[in-house]
This record gives sequence, structure tokens and C-alpha cells, in this order.
Amino acid sequence: MGEPILKIRDLYYAYGNGTPALNRIDADIYEGEKIAVIGANGAGKSTFFLNANGVLTPDRGEISYRGMIINKKNLKELRKNIGIVFQDADNQIIASTVMAEVGFGPMNLKLPKEEVLRRVEEALTYMNILDYKDRPPHYLSGGEKKRVSIADIIAMKSEIIIFDEPTAGLDPLNTQMLEEVLVKLGSEGKTMLISTHDVDFVYRWAERAIVFSQGKIIADGTPLKIFQNEEVLKKANLKRPTLMEIYDLLVEKHLLEDTKAYPTSTQAFKEMLGNM
Amino acid sequence: MSTIVLKSEHWDGHTHGDEINHSHHNIRHKHGEGSSIDFYAYASNIRNWNPAFKVSLSLLILVLSIVLNNPYVSLTVIVAMAYLTIIEGGLSIHAYLSILMIPISFILLGTITIGIDFSIQPIGQYNLYLGFFYVFTSQAKLKIMFFLMLKVFAAISAMEMMTLSTPSSEIISVMQRVHVPKLFTELMNLIYRYIFILIDVNIKMRNSANSRLGFCDIKTAWYTFGKIASNLLIVSFKKANAYYDAMEARCYDGDLIFLEEVKEVNTLQIAKAAVFVIFLILLWGFTR
Repeated sequence: MGEPILKIRDLYYAYGNGTPALNRIDADIYEGEKIAVIGANGAGKSTFFLNANGVLTPDRGEISYRGMIINKKNLKELRKNIGIVFQDADNQIIASTVMAEVGFGPMNLKLPKEEVLRRVEEALTYMNILDYKDRPPHYLSGGEKKRVSIADIIAMKSEIIIFDEPTAGLDPLNTQMLEEVLVKLGSEGKTMLISTHDVDFVYRWAERAIVFSQGKIIADGTPLKIFQNEEVLKKANLKRPTLMEIYDLLVEKHLLEDTKAYPTSTQAFKEMLGNM
Repeated sequence: MSTIVLKSEHWDGHTHGDEINHSHHNIRHKHGEGSSIDFYAYASNIRNWNPAFKVSLSLLILVLSIVLNNPYVSLTVIVAMAYLTIIEGGLSIHAYLSILMIPISFILLGTITIGIDFSIQPIGQYNLYLGFFYVFTSQAKLKIMFFLMLKVFAAISAMEMMTLSTPSSEIISVMQRVHVPKLFTELMNLIYRYIFILIDVNIKMRNSANSRLGFCDIKTAWYTFGKIASNLLIVSFKKANAYYDAMEARCYDGDLIFLEEVKEVNTLQIAKAAVFVIFLILLWGFTR
């Protein structure tokens, strides 16, 4: 696997009221990984993201990006290479036209204007919103705003993209659009971290899952392993993915042979049933 | 906000003139004129003109119509600006007139006091006895009043030409280029973006209060209004924090710089504008 892009060691962060939001977090993130970050509300996922991007400064512990320990001086390097798509697009969109908005990150990177324009064009095409270029964000719908907020980060060409509950508040069609974008980004080898409450999505999309509970990482591994671990599921108040439940039910009723080969998609499940 | 969403579906506003007229009325009565003027600016056909050109042209005409102080110039300006906004810009006449009529009460109040006067004696060319005193005026005074109104309308229509065709962000960027202090332009940018978010939040809070009988009688309504106002303050602090985090996450380091589209200055437009300005000055010279 080589060296991790991001190495987080013994991270500790507390908000003003003193209770730790993150407590002794260790995590390594490798290139091209598709990671789901799961856990209840207030478990520390968002705080973890903000720390990983350098917006919040950890009280203790260290973060290193490609072997470089992050301090005040090279903080910008971290922000440049780790982008966050925030949960609420309205909290992220700052400019008054889509073009200016997507150009905000690249402009802050002090790139030449031609390069910024090229990147904006590219990111808007990628998200299929080139037509909205001159529109102000307040006349866009929720789904369109979400696309803009993703284009924001694509234009920065960061190595890791963090999505903070990207499907929150989206209709099924936009959720599907989002998942297509995630798959497309994944096929291009982008490293992604996504926090979500949708266990079915985690199960079918992620290669690795990190479970947060009360400011701590209580499990880190493949989704299959995590969803088989009753203790973790109980502690983090997680449900098992529907496909796993159905598989186990069929095994229990002796309708299916127990090979422990859980299918990851309905398609795979269909094939499995077809082979019987 | 619902009306705005409805309107943005008809993005190509000029082809759906009637619908815009219709919802325009809703907007005016519901959330003030601001949002619809903003909308017209984005829908305008002359939006792609160079913003610096539009801003300086309208400022120049504003100054000219005040300095030249000539009714013929004022009339020409009113007609020319209406032409630019309605014919070139594609705004419906109805919408244009209703926007132009917003300041009408101020103008009438301001000019009537110049046109008429009060006296105990029956003096003046025309007078009207009102029991205790006379209201009197003269043809000359009425003329002054009428010319003043024309002048004010000319100035307003010059400004409206700019605001109805240039989105705020572009006006702000023009100000940036003429070195208005950064503090002001950055604040203007953020406030402009933020107003729409606050309106949205406010409508949501009002609706949720309304659904729980928060406005059932006057006393409760005032109480709810206060609660919403204070809540809005707290929410805006929270939002400001979230905003700042999001900006920092994208490498914001103290300078708010936005990407701007370069809109070519059209030489033909400048030539036409110059001809128009010269025409105004000549008109003034001949009718002085």
C-alpha cells in the first residue's frame, strides 16, 4: 500500500465546553481508498473532518500529509490537498455567481487566471452544470447547489475529497446523481471520505469503513467485517444493511447455503440466486 | 421565497413576460422589491454588456440630467433609458413602470411643497380658500414643479437602467476597480449573498411559528416577532461560523477574491453612448 497520504496520530480536540469531541484518534488514509465514516449524530465525524482539513487545530496529536508534519506554516498545504464538501451547500457557497463560486478555491491558491478559468470550466463540465455558470446561487435548487458545492472542490484538484453527509436533504434522483459522481470520481482513483447514515450505501460503495462513537474510533475495517460485528453495531447504534439481513434470513431458513459470501449489490445477489 | 423559485423556473424571463408580471405583484407585496429587481438584473438581455460601461454611462447621465437642468434633456433621458431597459433589456413595460413608481410618493411629497404655498391673504395667480387659509400657486411655480419632477425621474431612470441590467456582484466589482476600500466591497459582497440566506431562514421560521398559531392575535404576533428576530441573530452567528469554516477549508487567507468574467467593451456601444451624451449637451445648448 505504500505510504499513507494522511497520517493522523493521537488526535485530541475539545470544543469550548471542555468535553472532548475527538479523543485519541488514529487513522491512516491511503491513496485511492473509498472510506465511509459512520456514527451517530455528534459522534465527532464533522469535527474529525475539520481537523483533517486544518480548519480546526487539534489540542493534541499530530497530522502528517505525505510524511510532512502539519504545523502553522504548512497548514495551507493540507487545506489545498484535502477538500471538504460541506453538508449544507448554503453554508459553503459564498460568491454571487456559480462561476465566481467555483473559482473561489483556485483563486485562493493564487493560480494564474487562465488556469482558474480552465479549472472552473472543467469542474462545471464534470458536474454537468456549465449552463448555470452565470446564475446566482440563490436562484438554484437544492440539488443544483449541491453540484456547485462539489464542483467547488473538484476545481481545487485536491487529493482527498471529504463529503460531509452529502445525501442529506437530497431527493432520490439527486441522490442517484451524487452516487454516480462518487463512482466516477472513484474510478479515476480519487481518495474519498464520506460520512453518512445510509448503511446500505456504505455496504455497496465503500472499501473501508471507520466507525465513530463518542469521539472515538471504535472500528476500522471493511464494511462487511464491521457489519458482522454485533458489538460495534450496538455501540454505534447502527443497523445492518438490508442485503446482509436478507442473506442471513435465507441462510437461517435453509434456503441458501452459508458460504459467508455476502453479495454487495442486488445484481450480485441475483446472480447468486440464479446459480442455485 | 416560493415566488422566486417559481420565477427561476422561467429563467428566460423575457419569453414569459406575462408570468413575470404576474408573480412580480406577489413578490412586491410579500418580500419587498429588492429580490425582484435582483431577478430582473439577472434576466436582462443587456446583462452581457460590460458592467463598467453600464455603471459609468448611467452615472454620467445621472450627473448630466441634474447639472444641465433642462426639461428637454430630462425627457430625452427618460425615453432613452426606458428604451434601453425595455427594448434592449427585454423587461416588460409593466414591471418597469411599477419599479419606477416606487419612489413616486417621495417625489410628489417633495415637489408639491415647491409648487404650492400657503397664505392668509388671497394672493397668487391661482388660489383656493380652505376655511382658515389660502393655498396658492402660479403657472411659473407649477412649471418649476413639473420640470423638477421630470429631472428626478430622469435621474432615477438612469439609475434603474444600471440596477435592472447589472447584477450586484458586477456593480461591486466595478467599485473594486475604482479602488473603493476593500472593507466596503467585501462587506457588500458577503451581505448581498447573505441577505438571501437570511430571508430564507426567516421565512422558514415564520412558517413554523405560523403553523403553531404564533400569529393568532396581535399580542402573540408581536411576541413571536421578537422571538424570531432574536433567533435570527443567533442563527446568523452560527451561520457566520459555518461560513468561515467553509471559506478556510478552501484556503481563504484574509483576501476575498472572486473570479470575474471578462466582458468585452463594445466600441460601437461606446460610440453610441458618446453620440447620445453629445446630443444631450447640444439639446441643452439649443433650448437654453
